[in-house]
Amino acid sequence: MQEFIDFCRGPLFRLTFLVMIFGLIRILILDIWGAVEAYRNAGDKNLAWKSAFIKTIQWLFPVKHVVARRPVYSLISILFHIGLIVVPIFLLAHVQLWKTSVGIAWWTLPYDWANYLTLLTIACSVALLLGRALSKTSRTLSRKQDYLWPILLLLPFATGYICANVTVSPSMYQLVMLTHMLSAEVIFIFLPFTKIAHCVVMPLSQFVMTLAWKFPARIDKKIAATLKKEGQSV
Amino acid sequence: MRNSQITEQERQKAFESKKKAEVVERQHLHVRYHIEDMDVSDRPKRFLTAFAAILRHTNYRFALEHFIRISAKCGRCAVQCPIYTATGDVCDIPCYRSELLLSVYRRHFTLGGMLKGRLLGSGYLTDEMIDEMADTFWNCTACRRCTMECPVGIDHALITHLGRFILSEIGIAPRALVVSTREQLEGKTGNTSAIPLPALIDTLEFLEEDMKEEKGVDIKFPMDVQNAEYLFTPAVSDFLMEAETLMGIAAVFTATGGSWTISTEYFDAINYGLFYNDRILERVILKLYGQAERLNTPKILIGECGHASRSAKQYVPVHCGGKDAKPVFNILEYTYDMLKSGKLKLDPSVITERVTYHDPCNLARLGWIVDKPREIIKAFCKNYVEMTPTKEENICCGGGGGIVSIDEVRSYRTIIGGKAKADQIRATGAKILIAPCANCKKQLRELVEDQGIDCEVVGLHDLIYKAIIFE
Ligand code: SF4
Repeated sequence: MQEFIDFCRGPLFRLTFLVMIFGLIRILILDIWGAVEAYRNAGDKNLAWKSAFIKTIQWLFPVKHVVARRPVYSLISILFHIGLIVVPIFLLAHVQLWKTSVGIAWWTLPYDWANYLTLLTIACSVALLLGRALSKTSRTLSRKQDYLWPILLLLPFATGYICANVTVSPSMYQLVMLTHMLSAEVIFIFLPFTKIAHCVVMPLSQFVMTLAWKFPARIDKKIAATLKKEGQSV
Repeated sequence: MRNSQITEQERQKAFESKKKAEVVERQHLHVRYHIEDMDVSDRPKRFLTAFAAILRHTNYRFALEHFIRISAKCGRCAVQCPIYTATGDVCDIPCYRSELLLSVYRRHFTLGGMLKGRLLGSGYLTDEMIDEMADTFWNCTACRRCTMECPVGIDHALITHLGRFILSEIGIAPRALVVSTREQLEGKTGNTSAIPLPALIDTLEFLEEDMKEEKGVDIKFPMDVQNAEYLFTPAVSDFLMEAETLMGIAAVFTATGGSWTISTEYFDAINYGLFYNDRILERVILKLYGQAERLNTPKILIGECGHASRSAKQYVPVHCGGKDAKPVFNILEYTYDMLKSGKLKLDPSVITERVTYHDPCNLARLGWIVDKPREIIKAFCKNYVEMTPTKEENICCGGGGGIVSIDEVRSYRTIIGGKAKADQIRATGAKILIAPCANCKKQLRELVEDQGIDCEVVGLHDLIYKAIIFE
């Protein structure tokens, strides 16, 4: 058992983590590359950079949007996102792992905060999941991954909380720890290939939108030729 | 926006189809708008061929790639859509509608989708899916409110725009738009309302006489003046239905000594291409630009019309040389400048009724023309009230995206499309509703009529005409 845990903590972690990093970099490059191409093709290169930038900031720190509409849902969603980002990165136990293995360390969350934030994240993911399942609108929109993700994301948080706070038998502890690591590793692997990819490309959205309306010049004849519609009446 | 759905009775009336069963049968298509007869064979294959050709020569692919990566299906857009708020129908959720096209893209144009589709033997585009797109893409009024509210940033209006483009390439587009456009680009009169030139000249002379009588001043509609500063082009329907708006504009130019001209070769700024086909959009732009070149006017000025202004403003630079292209303005910008420079004087005692202002989506959504008309109005209308929400967040009149020109869907437009707008207008208690857009005005007049609201719908220059002071 311990060997398997060590394997998960060592090589498997490194592998899945790299898959995630490279997967995300790949998507980021593809996205930016597509935008650069589109910009090159655009007949008019005068983009509303400033307004796109402002909107991007407004969505990255969506204070304005919370007050404006659907305050409860928005607040839960924002807290959920904060927890997802902050806890794994700034948890003392995680930082210590980085320190012993790679030799780098950074600021960490105080123990109590980490606990509260973990519980809050769990509560939020349950709330979001229920919200999705109970509202007719969301139900029709939802795909499998939309239900699976909150559950999958909940796992490492719940198991992490247990490891840190609940006294269990050593074998039980190993099992919980294993679940903790494996679920995180599953997340790493799937993250770049599903909707969670928005964590890296979402900041580009407002620019994509502005740019997408800047069509390439003179496409009429080209499309007509490809479709063999030259000279055809309207 | 009030969250109020239509009643069952209203629904039946709104969705009542005025089409003959045999036409629906012949065309294999269940949509409420009329369509010209087209090739009905192997639609899915032709749809995909058109889609591929469009992807090849345009910029849509990178946007679609981005959208399929980030789509989180949170449903936040639903509450923003006036259509969904009224119908509560799943197919009207912006994100659902976008998914119709995104799923075709994913399945047929991405490697993963193609492999998965092959392996499972599933997901191939079907006639039913095309039916659904043909129906729901034309429920949307292209108001772009949903786009404003998408946290990850999906442009649903762009996807609908593309969906309509592809559909039109296989012959599915509202007849009303296609027929007008054909007249505009290939017909004898060369404009969407089929107004012959002699009739136009008659009308304008008649209006000039009218204005002389009413104002005691010589106000002219200059035609084919070489080297004038502005080539003025309104939505051509204004010549038939919005004489007062045009008189107001002519009066402003006369009072301020502006240099402008109308072209007799081509005098229609309507661009239905924006609503259904980028190729048409391009051709109309080139036609308009050709007149500015012929008359050697350095600037292009569009009348009170949202979509005509936006399409010229956005696509003249795209197709006519980027930053070197002649700049495009909307008439509200000119009038505002004149007011600020003190050349235009308005009498604040003429309009006493309560007035309110409707922002045309195509002018306001992106923040292009928002405060200028308000400042003009406040300069002479003392009893002015705002609607809520307003400005960039305004609610569509319910006729956007070309729907207003489809007469057979009037009940849909005034019961569903304009429902939220009607509530808004009622809440202001205004007696005059200013809407500086030919499309909005037509829709709003039908809306107040069908919904029994006591309010007159006018253009901004209609009121300016009444209040203008000649010195
Ligand atoms: S553009 Fe307007 S009408 Fe169309 S889906 Fe979005 S909010 Fe609804």
